[in-house]
Amino acid sequence: MAMIEVETLTKRYRDRVAIDALSFTIAEGKIVGFLGPNGAGKSTTMKILTGFMPPTSGKARVGGFDVFESPLEAKKKIGYLPETPPLYPELTVRGYLKFVAELKAVPRASVKAEIDRVAQHTGVTSELDRLCSSLSKGYRQRVGIAQALLGNPALLILDEPTEGLDPRQRHEVLELIKGLAGKHTVVLSTHILAEVKTTCEHVLIVHRGKIVADQPMASITDLEAKFISLTAQ
Amino acid sequence: MRTILAIAKKELTVYLTTPMAWIVFTFVSFLTSWFFIGLLMGFKEVHDRMRTMQVSWDQVPPDYQAFRNLTEGVIVNLWGTMLVVTLFVSPFLSMRLFAEERRQKTFELLMTTPVRSIEIVLGKYLGAVGIVAATVGVTIVYPVILSLFGASWNPATMEAKPTLEWSTVLLGYGALILFGSTCMAIGMFISSLTDSQMVAAIVALVISLVWMLVRIIAPNAEEPVRSILAYLSFDSQLQNMLKGVLELKPLVFFSSVILVFILLTHRSVEARRWT
Repeated sequence: MAMIEVETLTKRYRDRVAIDALSFTIAEGKIVGFLGPNGAGKSTTMKILTGFMPPTSGKARVGGFDVFESPLEAKKKIGYLPETPPLYPELTVRGYLKFVAELKAVPRASVKAEIDRVAQHTGVTSELDRLCSSLSKGYRQRVGIAQALLGNPALLILDEPTEGLDPRQRHEVLELIKGLAGKHTVVLSTHILAEVKTTCEHVLIVHRGKIVADQPMASITDLEAKFISLTAQ
Repeated sequence: MRTILAIAKKELTVYLTTPMAWIVFTFVSFLTSWFFIGLLMGFKEVHDRMRTMQVSWDQVPPDYQAFRNLTEGVIVNLWGTMLVVTLFVSPFLSMRLFAEERRQKTFELLMTTPVRSIEIVLGKYLGAVGIVAATVGVTIVYPVILSLFGASWNPATMEAKPTLEWSTVLLGYGALILFGSTCMAIGMFISSLTDSQMVAAIVALVISLVWMLVRIIAPNAEEPVRSILAYLSFDSQLQNMLKGVLELKPLVFFSSVILVFILLTHRSVEARRWT
């Protein structure tokens, strides 16, 4: 079954076309690398899929629900980490996760257990009582991922989750994402091709708002060369 | 409902962990205590003078009739100050409601979780009403002080009678909170239009101030504009309630203004996604 179905999705900002008639499907349980040079339309596509922004035309379905006709059902299936981890500096990590759990309508009785679960998963258990404003960049990113995992959504959309992490943390986060395979569908946007090689099963490359590659990782021998040649002009 | 309360609770937590609310509380207590002491001194002076001059209340000019009891002589007079203070501080409390979410990029979180945008608006507004009620509530110490120490001695029955009419006082607080809530609704709407808190505060202040002062320009206008302006002014709508008269008209008026601004905020939150 397809987790994400996108049909001729287009987004125009006044005179600029951000994405141009994008069509692709992502199968359930897959880890997909979503690649492209800066300004290719990656973040725009993710913002549309998560229901943050409406498209100019076209359709997007998540878990069978149209993102704009039944946004609440679609949003329930998604855990989203935006480019900047959306933290409130005034809240503690625990208070923040509790707030997000309530927004996601996690059953009241299991909120505490759910916070402990995602905190352990992302290695922020020791930081739960610190204020978000005092966290280092790596921890902010992890709390951002923890937030996305709350409520155990079927689909995780992660916009550059390894940004700003040191090599060790980067490795841990990627291992974490790999561990989600099978149970979750993961869409991972990144600039770092090496990460895609080791974690993703499928690759989508966008360039100037169009899909230029949509194939399994196994069928690509040299990702760098392919990426550079496809995004050359 | 649960999400609305969760958002309201988050708003209050953020208010109380940032200095802004505390600065506002301090400012309000400082300013109102100044006026409270002034009014109390004035009250005492009138009573002292009457005692030495041996005049009864019937001989006193109507301007001084308010000084007959503590409720009207001190507390109701204090409401005037309180209104102006509320008018000036509420934009600084409401400015961050949406502008801050945008700047911190947390707005994306709110909009991508399974929460309706009207729930976000209502949650935020509930938090805003909470904080403005707390701001106005800080001044409850003055009537409490008066009711503790302001009993009047009745020599005929040998009993001390409390001189404070709590019904008037509480109705006055209700009116002030209603007014504060209206200012917060306006401020919330303006905050949803801009990313800059400074712009949000200034524009909201200008709108509330003009709305408050409409009554001053009203007498110079022709009918029917004059009546419309007089009706629309916050000032004239509040007058009776502050004196302890409960009326339906101001309740309907303020509730409508609040509702309109909540709906406008909802439209603006929705519309901002399309740009």
